[in-house]
Amino acid sequence: MGASLPPKEANLFKLIVGLTLNCMDRKTEAYELVRQGLKNDLKSHVCWHVYGLLYRSDREYREAIKCYRNALRIDPENIEILRDLSLLQAQMRDLAGFVETRQKLLSLKPNHRMNWIGFSVAHHLNSNASKAVEILEAYEGTLEDDYPPDNEQECGFLERALEELHKKEFKIVDKLVYKEQEVSLLVKLGRLEEAEKLYQALLSMNPDNYRYYEGLQKCVGLYSENDQFSADEIDQLEALYKSLGQQQKYYEGLQKCVGLYSENDQFSADEIDQLEALYKSLGQQQKWSSAVKRIPLDFLQGNRFREAAENYIRPLLTKGVPSLFSDLSPLYDHPGKADILEQLILELEHSLRTTGQYPGRTEKEPPSTLMWALFLLAQHYDRRGQYDISLSKIDEAIEHTPTVIDLYSVKSRILKHAGDLAAAAALADEARCMDLADRYINSDCVKRMLQADQVALAEKTAVLFTKEGEQHNNLHDMQCMYELASGESYFRQGDLGRALKKFLSVEKHYADITEDQFDFHSYCLRKMTLRTYVEMLRFQDHEDDEMSKLPPSQKKKMRQKQRKAEARAKKEAEEKHEESSVGAASKSGKRHVKPVDPDPNGEKLLQVEDPLLEATKYLKLLQKNSPNSLETHLLSFELNMRKQRILLAFQALKQLLRLDAEHPDSHRSLIKFFHKVGSMAAPVTDTEKLIWSVLEAERPTISQLHEKSLIEGNRTFLEQHKGHSQPLPNVQYENLNICSIVMTPPHPTLLFFFLLADSLMHRAAVAEMLYVLEPDKKPEAIKLIEESTNNIVPKNGALGPVREWKLKDCIAVHKFLGTVLVDNEAALRWKVRCAEYFPFSTYFEGSLSSAVPNSAYNRICKRSENGSANHSGGETGDSLASNGKLETFKDLTI
Amino acid sequence: MVCIRKATIDDLLAMQTCNLFCLPENYQMKYYLYHILSWPQLLYVAEDYNGKIVGYVLAKMEEESTECHGHITSLAVLRTHRKLGLATKLMSAAQNAMEQVFGAEYVSLHVRKSNRAAFNLYTETLGYKIHDVEAKYYADGEDAYDMRKQLKGKQYHGHGHGHGGHGHGHHHHHHEHGGGCCSGERVEPKGTGKK
Repeated sequence: MGASLPPKEANLFKLIVGLTLNCMDRKTEAYELVRQGLKNDLKSHVCWHVYGLLYRSDREYREAIKCYRNALRIDPENIEILRDLSLLQAQMRDLAGFVETRQKLLSLKPNHRMNWIGFSVAHHLNSNASKAVEILEAYEGTLEDDYPPDNEQECGFLERALEELHKKEFKIVDKLVYKEQEVSLLVKLGRLEEAEKLYQALLSMNPDNYRYYEGLQKCVGLYSENDQFSADEIDQLEALYKSLGQQQKYYEGLQKCVGLYSENDQFSADEIDQLEALYKSLGQQQKWSSAVKRIPLDFLQGNRFREAAENYIRPLLTKGVPSLFSDLSPLYDHPGKADILEQLILELEHSLRTTGQYPGRTEKEPPSTLMWALFLLAQHYDRRGQYDISLSKIDEAIEHTPTVIDLYSVKSRILKHAGDLAAAAALADEARCMDLADRYINSDCVKRMLQADQVALAEKTAVLFTKEGEQHNNLHDMQCMYELASGESYFRQGDLGRALKKFLSVEKHYADITEDQFDFHSYCLRKMTLRTYVEMLRFQDHEDDEMSKLPPSQKKKMRQKQRKAEARAKKEAEEKHEESSVGAASKSGKRHVKPVDPDPNGEKLLQVEDPLLEATKYLKLLQKNSPNSLETHLLSFELNMRKQRILLAFQALKQLLRLDAEHPDSHRSLIKFFHKVGSMAAPVTDTEKLIWSVLEAERPTISQLHEKSLIEGNRTFLEQHKGHSQPLPNVQYENLNICSIVMTPPHPTLLFFFLLADSLMHRAAVAEMLYVLEPDKKPEAIKLIEESTNNIVPKNGALGPVREWKLKDCIAVHKFLGTVLVDNEAALRWKVRCAEYFPFSTYFEGSLSSAVPNSAYNRICKRSENGSANHSGGETGDSLASNGKLETFKDLTI
Repeated sequence: MVCIRKATIDDLLAMQTCNLFCLPENYQMKYYLYHILSWPQLLYVAEDYNGKIVGYVLAKMEEESTECHGHITSLAVLRTHRKLGLATKLMSAAQNAMEQVFGAEYVSLHVRKSNRAAFNLYTETLGYKIHDVEAKYYADGEDAYDMRKQLKGKQYHGHGHGHGGHGHGHHHHHHEHGGGCCSGERVEPKGTGKK
């Protein structure tokens, strides 16, 4: 085509065609053309620029930067290329480079405001806040007024920042941010009295912002991370919250804030109208009450806790607030409070049942109050693992009022915890059918179906709420994280291909989200929303000093959670790789990682040439994003053991011991590692000798081993983990310790004695390692496990016994007996035993689970099949019409 | 029980999850980023005692029309957290910010005709009125009510108390660069179907 053009133009023509092809998804051709162009004219900055643009569109940012740099070598003052380069540098967080490029842009075009701002932001990001301020000052006049103070706060000029903030108050339109900045500066400057007043004012504007309460408590010197206070402090706190609860003060503050305050109540007619409207709107909201009543439950103890809790709970039960339990649930981690709550709610229940009133009251409660009390109790017993009582309470509530959907959702959750996933999914589906127009119960149902490994059904249900036609694509395009749950389900079912496919698409979402930032680099500089822009750039950056600049612990928790979810996704994707390496011998097919339609089952995804190499890639991400998670280092350990990278595995082991040396998995790794090292052939090559000498030098530093043999180390671990939750009397402990010192190895019966009160999982780890170290001791390993007892947790006022063992752990032990020790009889004995502890568990085929034909659940199911028509009747008519999917729903009803 | 506060960048993923769990109208992350990077004052979240995001409001300014006004893009509260007045509190927070920071004359939103619960909230509790009906506004062919609420904010100004010069002149630069940068904003927001 471009053949008749002169060489230069022909080249340009190629580039244009190249870019067009790129847009048309014909990437290889595009690259080919651009490379040809470069061959013809290596000195063309346009060619390099276009080459960079291609890489950029493929998200190969490093390559793109190289191309831009080449282009700039030829044409150093090309504004457009400089701008493109600066965007990439911001995206890649190449901060030094970013500063340099922004400086160049500014020196070339000093009359553009954006260039000044850009240069300043670059310095700000590069932790040079004072420079950033200087630049802004040099270009004063047209600046975003609320930006500099924030900036200065970070560089430590607090006094000046506050002064500057006050000076510009009249210019700052965002009054809320103004006050928040002011208060944070006052606190940092130690001007706590002023800060206290300001927090009061902020609270009057928004009495539901818990961070203000936290700030206020800090100002008056009554703050503690874990709510540990002296008796005196508790008194002061109680008084503080009582005073906050006094409405008068609050309304006064509010009127001041909206500019409608007068000492002597003299108002114009207009103002009176506004005040009336204000108070009318206030009347419709519940004000201070909830926050100032809830927070004291965290610090009050004993009877005062009980009294406050009762005052808090009663009106919420009367009102029927479904989230009451979740609101109270953090209190279950405070010692003793769960017992008090249990007594308290049982008393309310009893009184409501017998008299229809709260204790000590004469007004009758509406009938629904009893139902909400039962609802609360069901969740309470669920939390304590007393599933039988929990289910009887929720069933009673359902009997009381069969039309309340929340009851079914909670029953579904209880059944899930109790171990009957199929029944939980069925219940959730029943709830869903009661209001087909509500996506929340649809989503809840999808979640339960996935937990029960009913993936096909779950997908059918989920797409009911997506656009007609392209349902699956739509779920994917909207970055619906349900893929994580369905991936996990495929993984449980052993369908590694499909699982991997789902996990990779989750990973792609994260990549897309990171990529999304790109378009905002220039946008924010123009839009001048600089504070939020800087926040965004720091969002994914993990440096510790950056972390400390972000708002309080709450946010960090959120971030960690987020990362955990991300990490989990990646971890599991990684496990997939690992397992495929062990299982199917990898055929040397071509790597095909892009999830495309021709591979619906992900079979091709599994044919990775070097799965361990792929896995290493993910491990690096994990090490970068969650260096403090045990899981990261466990994976690193496993992976490097498989790759025979002894020193890297050792590094992971040391991290595990640093994070939690008492964790059963840390112990496993320790023993496995030195067992493997001990069984290796003597070193021959220089590298091997070097590794050997490092380990020789390091081993004595590991306190768990010291001079002990592995067998002894394993035994010591067991001894150290007795009495986790139910300590033996001290005397006995001492005797046992003396015995264990005197008699090495300890007598078997003595060993049995030790085991009385330790944790199941620690013991399982010891048993496994005993088998690893001495395979002929298998019977003893099994005995170790079978001799464990499921102790009763001591507590007051219990309706029934609460036991220590968790269902999840018991399942893990069962799998260990069956697949590692390969003793089917022992596994069966374990199963029978656990079926008694967990009668609702389908895994153990407990007598009450849906796995048993004549179980209570299956009987209930039959009953509710008849019942469901009643309570779905009226409502569903409308909903079906509105969604217009009647046919689909019919198919779905179980 | 539940904390109402301004959203930050760190909240966006949780907001998206909450949206997907509750509403049929969903958006890509870019659209959330676009909102928070353009009008950071207009995004609020409801966070429960366990730190979980249980509701949010996503709002924007319509900058190209003649009358400066706000628009509620999306509002959701988890079903488990009803009866706490969260939707009202979130809406009030966003509306106040529209008025105070951007000087909005009114705020608009769309709601499904069939969504009685949301319609009641908007008309009875929050004072919205039907402005128009948009036929087949939603992907499934349902009509939307185009609703509006007049903001009387300016009457609160000029009463002194140190808030003087509540500048109109000033926040113009918030508007002058409206539109035209990122593809995110070209995705027309669909509705605020409140459950």
